[in-house]
Amino acid sequence: MSIEIRAISKRFGGFVALDDINLQIPTGELVALLGPSGCGKTTLLRIIAGMESADAGQVLFAGEEATHVHARDRNVGFVFQHYALFRHMSVFENVAFGLRVKPRKVRPSAAEIRQRVNDLLKLVQLDWLADRYPSQLSGGQRQRIALARALAVEPRVLLLDEPFGALDTRVRKELRRWLRRLHDEMHISSVFVTHDQEEALEVADRVVVMNRGRIEQIGSPDEVYSNPASPFVYQFLGNVNVFHSRVHGEWADVGRAGGGPEGEATAYVRPHDIEIEHRPVVGSLEATVQEVHPIGPLVRVELAHASELIEVELTRERATVLALAEGQQVWLKPRQVRVFAAPSAAMEEGGSGI
Amino acid sequence: MSTAASRRANTEPRWLRVLLLCVGLGFLFFFLALPLLAVFVEALSAGWSAYIEALDDPETRSAIALTLLVALTVLPFNVTFGVAAAWAIAKFDFRGKSLLITLIDLPFAVSPVVVGLVFLLIFGAQGLFGPSLAAHDIKVVFALPGIIVVTLFITFPFVARELIPLMQAQGKDEEEAAISLGASAWQMFRRVTLPNITWGLLYGVILANARAMGEFGAVSVVSGHIRGETNTLPLHVEILYNEYNAVGAFASASVLALLALVTLVAKSIVEWRMHRETRMLAEALPAEGNPGRGRLVAPVSPASGDF
Repeated sequence: MSIEIRAISKRFGGFVALDDINLQIPTGELVALLGPSGCGKTTLLRIIAGMESADAGQVLFAGEEATHVHARDRNVGFVFQHYALFRHMSVFENVAFGLRVKPRKVRPSAAEIRQRVNDLLKLVQLDWLADRYPSQLSGGQRQRIALARALAVEPRVLLLDEPFGALDTRVRKELRRWLRRLHDEMHISSVFVTHDQEEALEVADRVVVMNRGRIEQIGSPDEVYSNPASPFVYQFLGNVNVFHSRVHGEWADVGRAGGGPEGEATAYVRPHDIEIEHRPVVGSLEATVQEVHPIGPLVRVELAHASELIEVELTRERATVLALAEGQQVWLKPRQVRVFAAPSAAMEEGGSGI
Repeated sequence: MSTAASRRANTEPRWLRVLLLCVGLGFLFFFLALPLLAVFVEALSAGWSAYIEALDDPETRSAIALTLLVALTVLPFNVTFGVAAAWAIAKFDFRGKSLLITLIDLPFAVSPVVVGLVFLLIFGAQGLFGPSLAAHDIKVVFALPGIIVVTLFITFPFVARELIPLMQAQGKDEEEAAISLGASAWQMFRRVTLPNITWGLLYGVILANARAMGEFGAVSVVSGHIRGETNTLPLHVEILYNEYNAVGAFASASVLALLALVTLVAKSIVEWRMHRETRMLAEALPAEGNPGRGRLVAPVSPASGDF
């Protein structure tokens, strides 16, 4: 089922949590709301779920007005960061809860409930834990039970609030791939909130980058990473080198004296988009090698250009070929640069070359 | 050698340990155990038959009955209002919340005698509602309703005080989960909230009950000490003692002490259960993965393991 958010605003006292948010989530998509803490992403999710009411704006489910529908009647599955399993109920009873509280007319029979719960526990591969209590499960198991519980009522929409936030790295990675596969099998419209850009880029069909109660960019994971719409998105999704420069039309002249009348601008270059050369080439910057750190499959090189520190990531092969030493003089050439006018956030497509 | 040495390194010298232990145990004996023992010794000083006879006195029996009646009447109100207040404070944010918390603590802060006087001023013959109550021939002060009202006031904070921190610690995630799964407000309360607070609630009820049965000051002011009618057990003990009826006084006191002992046993059982449950809650997550079971073979998705 599709979800539509129209001009939603929400304030908490003087704090603007959401400022005129518009968003469309087509049926069957897995969408990530990505942003730093306090950007309003959880508030937006809770407004979709009906647990929080918006000050202004509308929420539509499948084109129908749902803004004033009570949370219990919205038929959304909600998964909490800290699982929120019913601690005094067994795993089986947790999953069965949504079925047991249905009005008598539509409540499935005891046998049907048993069947449904067992099927769901098999789906999350935890049927052998049916008689345990939540306190006896690991974090990853708890979150999978929470997911089974949310799916038991056959929700039209699945909402996940930082679902993997409380888990350790390895479990988090496994669980998010598992969620992606589960989503591909079930095709239920899902929205999940995260502050982890890697998680959003890996799992989601579309990423909604949020900051200070506003949407900065909506796009596919590849789009938001390789074509960020604003300096914020650039800096939030991965590391970036920032160069203050003067803009000459399409040409950014970084770190050189003089400059045209077009005004101040800032150039953004990802560390892996910088080439290191031993001799000067057209449009290259001179720099001195400060430090070389091999980190896993990459080698991170810190270089100094005038007073600025520049970070470059090389593959191990390239680093071996270059054989960099500390204090060495090298020339940098960016493969891809993006220039945003400063200080106003008006965006300008930058050319290549410095 | 190292274990013995390290044990010596972080303990006090033997004489100091023995001294502190003796001080502690001596204090416990003289201030807690000895008075309790004295009550029973005095009560039985004239023999079992005198003890039974003292308890069989109609006025004593009426005092016991009245005390139990007051306690049993007060508890349902305490449970209802205590849960409601704790619920409002723990799960919602509203203006004047801290004022409400202060108000709930008021009965702890005010001297019981003052409480009795306040209710005398409100419901007494010269009080605020006195004339209109008299016009309808309703007796509050110097009658059962007055005793119940002051006891209610005195014991109000126990349940709420016990539940507020518990409910705050539990948060409202589980309630929200229940609602999102389609539960009605009553289903949520009955199936999620109430089971989560059972032991805390019971603990609060036990404390409130102990206080309701033992309350003296406030009840003394509003009861009027009508023998066989408005005399609760603590008031009865005082009257008997003032009449130099030591055996009678201590026999009645021993009933109160017995009730207290029963309360204490119930309290320790509940405490033990609560402790067990909070320990279960606080237990760190078990290590990810279950070594005993090996890795789970995933039928649907091959890479998802036993996380």
